[in-house]
Amino acid sequence: MNENVFTINNLDLYYGKFQALKNVNLDLKKNKVTALIGPSGCGKSTFLRSLNRMNDLIDDCCIDGDILYNQNNIYQKGYDVITLRTKVGMVFQKPNPFPMSIYDNVVYGPRCQGIKNKKQLDEIVEVSLKRAALWEEAKDRLKDSALDLSGGQQQRLCIARAIAMEPEVILMDEPTSALDPIATLKIEELINELKENYAIVIVTHSMQQAARISDETAFFLMGEIIEYGPTDTIFSNPKEKQTEDYITGRFG
Amino acid sequence: MSMSNKRKRIDLLLQTITYSAAAIAVLILSMIVFFIFRNGAGLLNLDLITSDYHAQFYNGSIGEVNNFSNTDKPDFLTEEDHYSSKWGIALSDEIDKQGGLMIEVTYIADDSPLKEMVDKNNPDNETFSLKQGQVLSTIKFYDKNSALTIYGAEYMINELNEVDTFREIVFSTQGGGIRGSLITTLYVIGMTLVVALPVGIFTAIYLNEFAKKNRVTNALRSMVEMLTGVPSIIFGLMGLAVFVPLTVNYTSANSGNLISGSLTLAVILLPVIIRATEESLKVVPDELRSASLALGANRTQTTFKVVLPSALPSILTGTLLSIGRIIGESAALIFAIGTAVKDDISIFGKSTTLSVQIWSLMTDEPANIELASTIALIILITVLILNLLVKMISSRYMKKFV
Amino acid sequence: MRIGGINLNTIKQWLTNIKNTFSVNSKKEFVDLFIRSLFLITTIISASFIIIIIIFILREGIKPFVTNNDGLGRVNLVRFLMGTTWLEGRAFFSNLYGVGFIVVNTIYIALLSLVIAMPIGVLSALFIAKIAPKRLSKILRTVVELLAAIPSIVYGLFGSGVILVFVYNLGKVFGIQSKGGNSVLATVLVLALMILPTITALSEVAIRSVGKEIEHGSLALGATKTQTNFKVVLTSAKSGIFTAAILGIGRALGEATAVSLVAGNARSGPSFGLFDTTATLTSTMLQGLKETIGLDYDIRFSVGIVLMVVIVLTNAILNFVKRRIGNVNVK
Repeated sequence: MNENVFTINNLDLYYGKFQALKNVNLDLKKNKVTALIGPSGCGKSTFLRSLNRMNDLIDDCCIDGDILYNQNNIYQKGYDVITLRTKVGMVFQKPNPFPMSIYDNVVYGPRCQGIKNKKQLDEIVEVSLKRAALWEEAKDRLKDSALDLSGGQQQRLCIARAIAMEPEVILMDEPTSALDPIATLKIEELINELKENYAIVIVTHSMQQAARISDETAFFLMGEIIEYGPTDTIFSNPKEKQTEDYITGRFG
Repeated sequence: MSMSNKRKRIDLLLQTITYSAAAIAVLILSMIVFFIFRNGAGLLNLDLITSDYHAQFYNGSIGEVNNFSNTDKPDFLTEEDHYSSKWGIALSDEIDKQGGLMIEVTYIADDSPLKEMVDKNNPDNETFSLKQGQVLSTIKFYDKNSALTIYGAEYMINELNEVDTFREIVFSTQGGGIRGSLITTLYVIGMTLVVALPVGIFTAIYLNEFAKKNRVTNALRSMVEMLTGVPSIIFGLMGLAVFVPLTVNYTSANSGNLISGSLTLAVILLPVIIRATEESLKVVPDELRSASLALGANRTQTTFKVVLPSALPSILTGTLLSIGRIIGESAALIFAIGTAVKDDISIFGKSTTLSVQIWSLMTDEPANIELASTIALIILITVLILNLLVKMISSRYMKKFV
Repeated sequence: MRIGGINLNTIKQWLTNIKNTFSVNSKKEFVDLFIRSLFLITTIISASFIIIIIIFILREGIKPFVTNNDGLGRVNLVRFLMGTTWLEGRAFFSNLYGVGFIVVNTIYIALLSLVIAMPIGVLSALFIAKIAPKRLSKILRTVVELLAAIPSIVYGLFGSGVILVFVYNLGKVFGIQSKGGNSVLATVLVLALMILPTITALSEVAIRSVGKEIEHGSLALGATKTQTNFKVVLTSAKSGIFTAAILGIGRALGEATAVSLVAGNARSGPSFGLFDTTATLTSTMLQGLKETIGLDYDIRFSVGIVLMVVIVLTNAILNFVKRRIGNVNVK
């Protein structure tokens, strides 16, 4: 059984004429948290969005190379993008709950897939909210508007929403950058629990966060991966000078 | 979980419905434009715009004719045009707007004796002549029976050819021209803007530049905003109840008149102009005002020299839109002026604007759809041009700020 | 310093004050004051018109109910409000007017036209805002704006020339004889046409302003574009779309000339059948305007009052509903 849930080979990505990603090669492992670090604008989020083909929504975006999800190239002709997105969930930088009730937010995905049975949906809500550590706070307010929640709670709701789809991978694009320190801490704890069941790829601006929660780390610079490997190694014994410079704070 | 066929079908259905809805909207516009065009384009010519609506009747006589016409039948005339080279006139049988017969003068030569006749109703009239496009009803001869319309154009030409003079000739203009309504519309536009623009702009300036931001100001603004929810027919009633008595008492007007109509329209346009001006005043950053005041200018100078210039494009577009609204307004003016179509226009008297004339034509028995369509065509084209102008100005103005 | 009981300083101040009144700075302030007062007057004039409208229409409209109407006697208010016949007896010879059924007609017709125009308008707006390619979007948006600028009388003309014929023929297909096409159906169709551009334009703005992050959130969960549009985008734009409906129905209630050309002037009612002739408050106000005086003329103001009341009530109810809907889900 291959340990890798994603294998990326020689990936180049262009926005029009501008090359945002250069020759990216990477393996993302199951049940591990992989952190993508690097200075702003170096392609981390772009790379993340390629994994669930959210880049398709941007005009002028072209791709060269393969991204294999469970050994299947997701960019081949006729690939079922919709199903891909049910298996590879995403949590965005700024919490974006739908203007509906908490309950409706969580069951949105399953409903789109045709699940109508109330009992089934109720169960999904309870399981997902529990896994996202929001159940206790939300169980009595399921019908309230999601927009009434605090920032941190909203983000956890978005995580619950993604989990409700029972994905294999959860992509997180700087999930705590819009949150206060306490909420951040809660989410980091959550990520630690989640990795038992899901592969997590997290883009983060904070090296400390990467060091705290990730198992593997990839360092991006100007659209290329300079180095990647086990987090401990990257942070204590980086192979490349650029990696060392970034980690010790010489730039970025 | 994956997409079932049922999901896909629902998806497709929803997409189809959405596409159809948009298609319907476009279809409707085309239908309306097509209809107006088809019915109205026929009558569209310069004559229409410059002639009277009501037919005018003339009685003429001719003394001894010394010089008869020498012109041959012109080439552009057809078989249907019966020509008399002696009199230099071509007549043809036509159908009038009520569907009855008429004899139309399709050509009259420059040297035709019929160009110099005596006006029986107005003997001092030096230049009394028969014109092309006019309608001949009767020619009364000496010593023989008159030639009437029912006998037809050919008969009339033949009878005319046999004589050298005649007793009386009765003819008329065709009418159906819209000059009266056109002039009325222009007057109304002018007068309305003369009132609405200053009042509206000054009000907007007061609300935005001079007034303190308190509840009273907000109340005043709300009271102006409320006007936008009132249908135009209600404004018409107000015009009838307020402005008509006002003008009747203080001017030479006897009933609804153009001034009362313009005042009514001015009230309708106030919220439009005020909103357009206020929006553009709001956009000007406060720093500019502070800078001006700090340099020792007073509020008035600040407003007129610094703030207002950047509001001008918006005021201009507001004006253009107002003009469009004035041209299109019918219900209010039906009450505030009246529905009598006139050819002599006085601002103290009744007459109709183009839109009101359409309504008047359509509520006649029988309804004159052709002429109404022609007027509608003119209105549509004008409104179209105005709106495109507005778009052009807005986008050019936006470029400066983006 | 005091000389002869007058304080020199006071005199000094006095003179300075006088000097100031004529200095440049004071002149500026004076100009400001003048302009301010002038503009305040125009503002008060502008603001007062809503009151003028109410007062004068009330004044004229109440007359039939409180005066003797040149010997015809007062019009009974209750009968007026509940009546099912516009006029019993001959015009100029009777005071038996009833407007009740016309109110029912007006609301019925306005609702029907809203029911037709809303789906087409909202879906077109969705198409323009989310589905059409950018260039087509721009063109369609312009088309909608132009449609909205067409004066109502032109719609009336179109209704008279085309829709009446269409309804008449449609009636024949079903074996129904309509009065030359003048009918509830014709009126509803013309009104739906007229409010369609407004609804489309406003809904389009509301849909366009839904944040991209909401859309992306939905797509990232594996929803299709259509599902996203219908389940998330339209729901988020609910408030704006509702506003569009409110404005649409306002226009439908107040439309006069176009309706008067296709309604058919029913003398009694209310008319619910699609092919029956009908009368609305506005068409009644315009009916026979060319030859009428006296009570028959004054009563139109009363109808005007009823129209205003209907519009204000409808707006109030709809705004109330909008706030309730808004509170449940959208902030």
